[in-house]
Amino acid sequence: MAAVSATSIRFGSTFRTASWSSNQTGGRISNVKLVSMGISKRILPSLRSPHFHICCAAKPETVEKVCEVVKKQLALKDEIVLTPDSKFSALGADSLDTVEIVMGLEEQFGITVEEDNSQNITTIQEAADLIEKLVQQKAEA
Amino acid sequence: MSWLLRRNMLPLHSNSLARRPFASPLPLPPASLPSPRETHIWYVVPDELKDASLLYQYMELLSPCERQSVLRMNGERLQKGALLARALVRTTLARYTDGRLSPKSFKFQKNRFGKPEVEWDKYDLWAPPPLQFNISHTSTMIACGVTLDLPIGIDIEEKQRKTSNNILSLAHRYFSPVEVAYLKTLADPECRQSEFIRLWTLKEAYVKALGRGFSGTPFKDFTIRLEASNSKQVTGELKSDAPSIVVEAVDDPGILMNRWQFALFELNNSHYTAVCMERDVKNPADGENNSLKLEVWRTLPFVEDECVTETDAVKNIIR
Repeated sequence: MAAVSATSIRFGSTFRTASWSSNQTGGRISNVKLVSMGISKRILPSLRSPHFHICCAAKPETVEKVCEVVKKQLALKDEIVLTPDSKFSALGADSLDTVEIVMGLEEQFGITVEEDNSQNITTIQEAADLIEKLVQQKAEA
Repeated sequence: MSWLLRRNMLPLHSNSLARRPFASPLPLPPASLPSPRETHIWYVVPDELKDASLLYQYMELLSPCERQSVLRMNGERLQKGALLARALVRTTLARYTDGRLSPKSFKFQKNRFGKPEVEWDKYDLWAPPPLQFNISHTSTMIACGVTLDLPIGIDIEEKQRKTSNNILSLAHRYFSPVEVAYLKTLADPECRQSEFIRLWTLKEAYVKALGRGFSGTPFKDFTIRLEASNSKQVTGELKSDAPSIVVEAVDDPGILMNRWQFALFELNNSHYTAVCMERDVKNPADGENNSLKLEVWRTLPFVEDECVTETDAVKNIIR
């Protein structure tokens, strides 16, 4: 675990100088939250994404919005605690729920998710990451 | 299983502790194998399970891996559902082995697209039946379909299920143009809602039967619809058959994929159920009747089984 925390601290400091520098106050607070919350867990197992970059990790506000959409769609009671690593399948989402969640997120964020991308979303964090990527792509277009 | 203790579901009286968790379950009555055009469906209603010690019996049937998956579900209700689903699959398959295989002894693997299937051991003096299965669940029902050596997909949805998004928005996004056009012809919103759900279950059942996953068989690439049958001549009289459910590729309309046959019906007055099964070409049907046959049981494994095929629990069947 010591090795993991060391990694997280290292990435944490990189975050402060990365794309969030424009969001000074919010950025610093969110950096601290992410590092302690679980960003360290995400760094190691991202084998699925060959293009993993630090700047693709989603902001906490995005993660929270995703949680809201998911909670609403699955009618989750308040005592169910959602974390970024929460898997949709473990929350009882079937395929119709998943497409409804995707459509709900598209509406919230003003994006379009391609069919093959939507299959890679299995957790809250993955949904948030994809959203931020699409929002950024849209802004750049 | 600490949640069982926390919620006080574990029987506290010493006699019941001695009696239940270590008592061997009642043997499962053996079932006859499905015939070539038959799908057998076994379903369980989670709310009918009142005896907490049954959950222990079911847990005992699972592999360590399955147990972990069950406990990874978020919350007690979902854990119970996941547990029942595994117990249903194992007990159902065991019924067809004439007492030779216990529910606990089954092993499972996934095909290269991730579809679960039985991993059969080799036996010297007995060939296990080549059973294929598929399951579907909602929070209020879990169903398992079984065939003899034919790919099968099953999907169930609560009749009352409401969508958060507008039906036509969902259809435009995920259904084929023919299907969208069909839904648009339905003016009554409730009718449109229920037809959407029924079409969804049919499309899901088809994708699950193919076993290539949602992304391997995108919903938009195929149309499921009713095809009016031609009038058939039987003993000199003109006899028109009921329309049948067919599937065709969007890119190749008019070429029906006859390899697949369907059934759509209402189960337990609560769920729309769709079954898709590969047609058995090795055993062509004689005469007219080559449509998918159904046999349905309501079960609470180790407690009771009830054949509901010719009852009100299975109705409004379209094939």
